[in-house]
Amino acid sequence: MIWNYKELFIRGIWVTLALTLVGYIGGIMLGLLIGLGKLSKKKWIYYPSKYYVDFFRGTPLLVQILLIHLAVIPTIFGQSLGYFVSGATALMLNCAAYNAEIIRAGIQSIDKGQMEAARSLGMPHKLAMRHIILPQALRRMIPPFGNELIALLKDSSLVTVIAANDLLYAGKIVAGAYNRFWEPYITVAVLYLFLTFLFTRVIAYTEKRFSNSYVPRQRRRMFTFGRPTGGSS
Amino acid sequence: MIKIENLYKSFGDLEVLKGIDYEVKEKEVICVIGPSGSGKSTFLRCINLLEEITAGSVYIDGVKVNDPNTDINEVRKEVGMVFQQFNLFPHMNVLDNITISPRKVKGMNPTEAEELAIQLLEKVGLKDKAKAYPEQLSGGQMQRVAIARALAMQPKIMLFDEPTSALDPEMVKEVLDVMKQLAFEGMTMVVVTHEMGFAREVGDRIIFMDQGYIVEEGTPEDIFVHAKNERTKAFLSKVL
Repeated sequence: MIWNYKELFIRGIWVTLALTLVGYIGGIMLGLLIGLGKLSKKKWIYYPSKYYVDFFRGTPLLVQILLIHLAVIPTIFGQSLGYFVSGATALMLNCAAYNAEIIRAGIQSIDKGQMEAARSLGMPHKLAMRHIILPQALRRMIPPFGNELIALLKDSSLVTVIAANDLLYAGKIVAGAYNRFWEPYITVAVLYLFLTFLFTRVIAYTEKRFSNSYVPRQRRRMFTFGRPTGGSS
Repeated sequence: MIKIENLYKSFGDLEVLKGIDYEVKEKEVICVIGPSGSGKSTFLRCINLLEEITAGSVYIDGVKVNDPNTDINEVRKEVGMVFQQFNLFPHMNVLDNITISPRKVKGMNPTEAEELAIQLLEKVGLKDKAKAYPEQLSGGQMQRVAIARALAMQPKIMLFDEPTSALDPEMVKEVLDVMKQLAFEGMTMVVVTHEMGFAREVGDRIIFMDQGYIVEEGTPEDIFVHAKNERTKAFLSKVL
């Protein structure tokens, strides 16, 4: 039964992955801008950023998806641009709000002495942010970004309501065709679990790669070599 | 070289500096001493505008630092600063810590910046640590790198904010020695410190601050031997 529809499920996996990744990457870039906006002292930057986050965190994603698909996009473009554009846009805008908070908190967690040192060396604020603060802050953001990725993967199932043929949609089709619910939805659940498992592994690897020490592995070895005072292992 | 006129600084309701007037001449080494909370560090941080100035003015080479039309980044290129907590950039090795500012701010080419960095590392005795990361260094080494980093901008003035206060006692000397050498070479320096021996030996003038005022000022002998003010005497009797 499920096997007959395997292509639908495989396509569902790709659609789910594509929606998640497009939404996520767009969400990080937009989130960075909004996160920095929330740290701005300029009111005309701060307040729009704040209201953006308040709106997208304060309203259900499902409502946002419907609003964008049925109201915003048809109004701007005069027609629907398809479920993918609407879905990815909604996920991106929503994800950006959460990422903005992660980015704001990450930046604020960096000791203020870092910014002071950079500024005292004559670096303008932007330059210091880019070369000194963000590289350090981004590392600290990796675990919450990982959570966000997995949350987004699961939330992407909501685009089913605008008839996106994602993973959940495949399950619904099969359920409708056979009027059975256990098999299709268990399959969907297992496939989501499989995807989140994959993501978890990637995140764990990334976390490990960027945690603890700033010292690159090879170079560390070079320094403990023959000079015990050089490295603090 | 540095002229401070009627400088006031408050944090909210708390008045930290209550009218400071002072002038630092070229090549002078000024040591600022005084009890905690006396405003020493704030005073220092107002010079390169790390703290916003509430009232009064600071001039460096005749340029009013707290003028809205002054590009503070230009001023800061001329004024190096060394912090109590070192504030090295942990994600860069020693060489990059030193070269980033000359490269990104002054547009110096990387080879030139690297040569300069190696020279400065030699000066602070850490040439072999060029590729090490801050976390691999001891406190004394970190502070010496921080001094080299500030010097890489080739400043005319160096500010030191309790540079040895966060160090283990056995590492204080290596940092003070670098500072001494710097003073000897004619750098204009303002040093907030609790190292009375250093202040006495290296300082051209000593400022004693308490409760937001400069209570007494003079040569090391004036302050350490012939202090006139009761508060100065009381403070020195506790720390000497």
